Amino acid sequence: MGNFIKKDLLIFWRDRKELITVLILPILLVIILNFAFAGLLGKDTESNLDLNLAVVNQDNATDSLEKLKEKLVNEGLVGEGEANVFVEQASHLDPVSMLLNYLDSDELKGLVTIHELGEEEAITKVEDGDLDGILIIPDGFTVESLYAAFVGEAPTKSLEFKMEKETNNTSILFDIVQGFTDQLNYQFALQEMDALENEVTLPTGGVEKVGAGESFTLTQYFTTAMGALFALFLASTVGTKTGLEIRQKVFNRILLTNSNPILFLIGKMVSTFCLTWLQIMFIFVFSHFILDVFPGRTVSFWFGVIGIASLLSLAIAGLAALFTSISLRVRNIDAANGIFMLVILLFGTIGGGFVPIYVLPDWLQQIGEWTPNGISLVMVTKWIQFEDLSNIFTPGLLLIGIFLLFTLLSFALYPKRGEA
Amino acid sequence: MLETIKLSKSFKGKKAVQDVNLYLDSGESVGLLGPNGAGKSTTISMISSLIKPTAGEIKLNGVNIINNPEQIRRILGVVPQELALYEALSAYENLKFFGSIYKIRGNELDKSIQRALEIVGLQDRQKDLVKTFSGGMKRRVNIAAALLHHPKILILDEPTVGIDPQSRNHILETVRMLNKNEGTTVMYTSHYMEEVEQLCDRLYIMDHGEIIASGTKGELLSILSTEDTIKVQLSKMDDRFVTQVKSIEGVRKVEAANTNLKIIAKKGINLVSELVYLSEQHHIQLINFHTENPSLEDVFLHLTGRTLRD
Repeated sequence: MGNFIKKDLLIFWRDRKELITVLILPILLVIILNFAFAGLLGKDTESNLDLNLAVVNQDNATDSLEKLKEKLVNEGLVGEGEANVFVEQASHLDPVSMLLNYLDSDELKGLVTIHELGEEEAITKVEDGDLDGILIIPDGFTVESLYAAFVGEAPTKSLEFKMEKETNNTSILFDIVQGFTDQLNYQFALQEMDALENEVTLPTGGVEKVGAGESFTLTQYFTTAMGALFALFLASTVGTKTGLEIRQKVFNRILLTNSNPILFLIGKMVSTFCLTWLQIMFIFVFSHFILDVFPGRTVSFWFGVIGIASLLSLAIAGLAALFTSISLRVRNIDAANGIFMLVILLFGTIGGGFVPIYVLPDWLQQIGEWTPNGISLVMVTKWIQFEDLSNIFTPGLLLIGIFLLFTLLSFALYPKRGEA
Repeated sequence: MLETIKLSKSFKGKKAVQDVNLYLDSGESVGLLGPNGAGKSTTISMISSLIKPTAGEIKLNGVNIINNPEQIRRILGVVPQELALYEALSAYENLKFFGSIYKIRGNELDKSIQRALEIVGLQDRQKDLVKTFSGGMKRRVNIAAALLHHPKILILDEPTVGIDPQSRNHILETVRMLNKNEGTTVMYTSHYMEEVEQLCDRLYIMDHGEIIASGTKGELLSILSTEDTIKVQLSKMDDRFVTQVKSIEGVRKVEAANTNLKIIAKKGINLVSELVYLSEQHHIQLINFHTENPSLEDVFLHLTGRTLRD
């Protein structure tokens, strides 16, 4: 068995053209695509979105502290003296100012432009497409927020986020506002904001995580997509090389010995696993060194990447085994190679290897998420964002399932002696 | 030692090999002759267990081994017509790989590799990649790969196709040495009649999937003992002249090439006067005229109606 693996690795190593194709080309593509798209979109999507948010402030903050004191006394919660002390403390905490400061912070300055407008004008501009969304600070927001903070209940007045239609931009704006609410909640123990209209279904996480470097950037996408795509090409290469071994009758020479021919197949699987794993790690590590793809990541993050690379390599090894068995079965090796390439291009396209998966129709996206490269793309995306094993457990199992399925098929198709 | 009995193989109903009976005694050298498509490679593939026969038996020392081919694989070395080598590996790496799958290990493997390389005369080039070798050297590595497990029977399927005369001579010398000095039983197929004549004790002639003749060289030549082969050189070729030569009583075959005629005729007939008469009629001059002893090529032509390289 070791001889088969060594032979395959050695043959691959000696094929310099192939070596450059599978190791250097993906890195070159990552670099080229990164710079090409950086020119069009900017390096990271979130830093070049130029979101426009209208802020409609209906809250009259001038007598809010007086109203708060009245409310606290009238509700009989505290005496006047105690209410004075609380109001004095609350005077340093103005939720509206905090919100405006947050939106004007350095962190968001390049991302969101704030337009303080009246409600009607804001609605018109959103409808005209000039603005992405409206944030309404309702009348009594300050009083109710501070009151809620005092009594530890949900505020009766909430920020309202309005938009014309749901888009990526409005989702990000909602995230930003949600991020502020989370900050406010943290400070005041308030409940979450209600979005009265068109509530956006949010992914877990939010803008506060973007700030912590856990977004999925275009460069990370290119690195992952190219890594997975070229791993697929490796499976096709193994199939093609098997075709060559058949054409040159080397496989027959193996059959002339009393070695179990299945070792040939297992050797292909193991060598493909090793090559794919090395290829993916090479692409990830070198892209990272060249483009700083995963800045500030921990060792545990890299262990996760190694795990995902291993699972993808396993699935690719299964696919290579299937291609090997097919090569041994078919009479026309060229036709088989053509079919392998078609399969790879199909997997590559619907699995997000050529274009981001979200530009594809929904039904195609769903199919794409069942391809080895599509699954690994999902896994890496989730791992980059959340670094949580529970998020990648199921897709990981799916990759193992694909490996088992391909392996079973390849064993079933593998010709017995005298059939090849 | 090895015997096939009514060995047959059909592909999709079409018979590629039919009722082939042949045998190899220990230590002898046997030639298998036949044009392309005669069924030689299919026969070899069945004997070496690469494909299963449709019918018939293959006996090794009297035991049918079709369902138990491990026995023959242990003692059989096959040199395929194709260069069954990894071109990206060196000669040594190729032999090491093939030796290891014969389950030869450690020092024994290294000794076997060096012995095989010595036999084919490539010890000094063992570290070079096969793709850098000439056609003849590749063929020699191809032979070396079949010798690693010290086979008792060696089957060589056209091992000298497309190589230079020097490499060809080297290969022929290697095969002769293996047969005469090491006692290896050899089965040799070739398009080149002179190779088979030179190397083999006995011959089988195959055509259209069947053995059409067999025996020693003398036995095969005796097939033509009732015929003479006459070669004539003419000043010019004329189709009508050829047609009239064919119609001479006792003439069995006439082959025309450029200004030469090869006539196979019944032994003892007087062709000279007839040829002189016809040549005068057609204003053709007879430049050269001689009678040849029949060769195996003639036997082949006589039996199949075509030459080996057709």
